[in-house]
Amino acid sequence: MGVDILLTILTVVFALMVVFSKKTVVSAFALLMTLLCLAMIYFQLGTVFLSAVQVLVNAGAIAILFVFVMMLIDLEQFPNNRERNKIKLVISIFTILIIMGVLALIINNNIDTLTVINLSDNSMKALFEKLYNTYYLPFEMATVLLLAAIVACVVITNHRKDDDSDNEGADKGVHP
Amino acid sequence: MSIYYYLSAFLFCLGLIGTILKKDLISMLLCIELMLGGVALLFILFSKSTGFIDSQLMVIFMMIISACEVAIGLSLIIALYRNKQTIYTDEIKIITE
Repeated sequence: MGVDILLTILTVVFALMVVFSKKTVVSAFALLMTLLCLAMIYFQLGTVFLSAVQVLVNAGAIAILFVFVMMLIDLEQFPNNRERNKIKLVISIFTILIIMGVLALIINNNIDTLTVINLSDNSMKALFEKLYNTYYLPFEMATVLLLAAIVACVVITNHRKDDDSDNEGADKGVHP
Repeated sequence: MSIYYYLSAFLFCLGLIGTILKKDLISMLLCIELMLGGVALLFILFSKSTGFIDSQLMVIFMMIISACEVAIGLSLIIALYRNKQTIYTDEIKIITE
């Protein structure tokens, strides 16, 4: 029980740092720590494979991708502490209160009836049998989606203005 | 284990409040990641409590989709920064122009 509380407190602290930190780089590293804490929670819940994938993909790739993009963009000219819209703040607080109330109702009603089922040791085998038998079509579609995302990223970031490439690139013989 | 249900609801709401309040696009993407983390935790808790292994597969698909979303979102931010020299949402007026 103690591990539950400790992991929850760690996750809550780092998640609060993501939202309320003044510097965006600090937010990115707090997100990295939040995802690592979530991976520990997955491990504690017994889903070992998802914990490993969380560390590899979400914490290892996505959070570091944010840091790379922050290196490309000069963040010094974009401080994170601009004055905030009061109406937006009030609306968001009300939205959060309503959503928290609904979620608390749902959780309080069902949490006693939910029983923990110990997944068997070969749950990974069952997972992949399900993935390659029942869900083979969504799996293939996910691969196509990843390929499309790669192509879209390259196309979007390689887009250049025509006047720049015509004027400078042709004269110097160097791509601008 | 029941505290994790509240943790997932808290993460989702915190990500939502961050997405509403933040002004720059990178922080908004970070908060969307937070929301996705909360939902993934809830899927795994559902898998633990009901024994359905399908919801763990949903987490795998969710990771794939979040990776695509972040990659395309960040490349759009870079393209926007090249064209408009800003990443603030209140300084962008592409649609209304």
